[in-house]
Amino acid sequence: MITEQAEQLLELTTPVVELWEGVVAVPLIGTLDSARTQVVMEKLLQTLIDTGSEHAIIDITGVPAVDTEVAQHLLKTVVAARLMGAECTISGIRPQIAQTIVALGIEFGDIPTKATLADALLYALRNSGVEVVRRRRTGAG
Amino acid sequence: MDRVPILSLGDVLLVSIQVDLQDESVVALQEDLAERIVDSGASGVVIDISAVEIVDSFIGRMFATIASLSKVLDAETVVVGMRPAVAITLVELGLSLQGVRTALDLERGLAALRQRRAEREIPLADESDEAVEAPTAAWD
Repeated sequence: MITEQAEQLLELTTPVVELWEGVVAVPLIGTLDSARTQVVMEKLLQTLIDTGSEHAIIDITGVPAVDTEVAQHLLKTVVAARLMGAECTISGIRPQIAQTIVALGIEFGDIPTKATLADALLYALRNSGVEVVRRRRTGAG
Repeated sequence: MDRVPILSLGDVLLVSIQVDLQDESVVALQEDLAERIVDSGASGVVIDISAVEIVDSFIGRMFATIASLSKVLDAETVVVGMRPAVAITLVELGLSLQGVRTALDLERGLAALRQRRAEREIPLADESDEAVEAPTAAWD
């Protein structure tokens, strides 16, 4: 019973949302452990197939800390998405997490990282050929 | 042993893997493909693995081998339709397939090849214009 509920909770805490046509995002909130990152990985990859998206964003703004295992899992997710033909961006890395990553000596290599989810979305849109233009207001002032 | 068919689609060779791969058929595929690329002068190879559910390290390496093999023969390889489970397995095996292009499905794979070819194409200079102009320049 409790394991069942724990599984359901795990499913509920990892939503994959479509931000734009061809851009999906996973906003992660709360502490990450390897079981949760595993669920995130599987769910994200399945969503890429279901929606035919070529861009994925993993937003870790709400994650207070990561350890080596979780960081490795995130990296694996990015590489797996790349194998499937999608590009994966990590956004919202907190200063402490950045320090941890560097201190632990984890190589992010050529994985694009962006400061905020907004930056990551803009990056994904530009890469998929969408141009974002601020419309000039007419008749104002 | 099942032989994997290689189909020709314009100047692209399409390898659609619909059976569970055995080690021998993988080796045969590599040989067949190399021969077909040379015979047809194809500029691209698309490997559709959307029906492949199980991979091991040998098959994983096959993608990398085929990609570098076709690169030597001046054809670009795109692996399309990889399933999530397959992608996870390859990552767990430590095969990140650097240098292999991937796409979500066949359509996007072909589009990527087409785009790559358009980028690579160098327009030939029109010689006839120069030939007309050159004598006048000499007389002046």
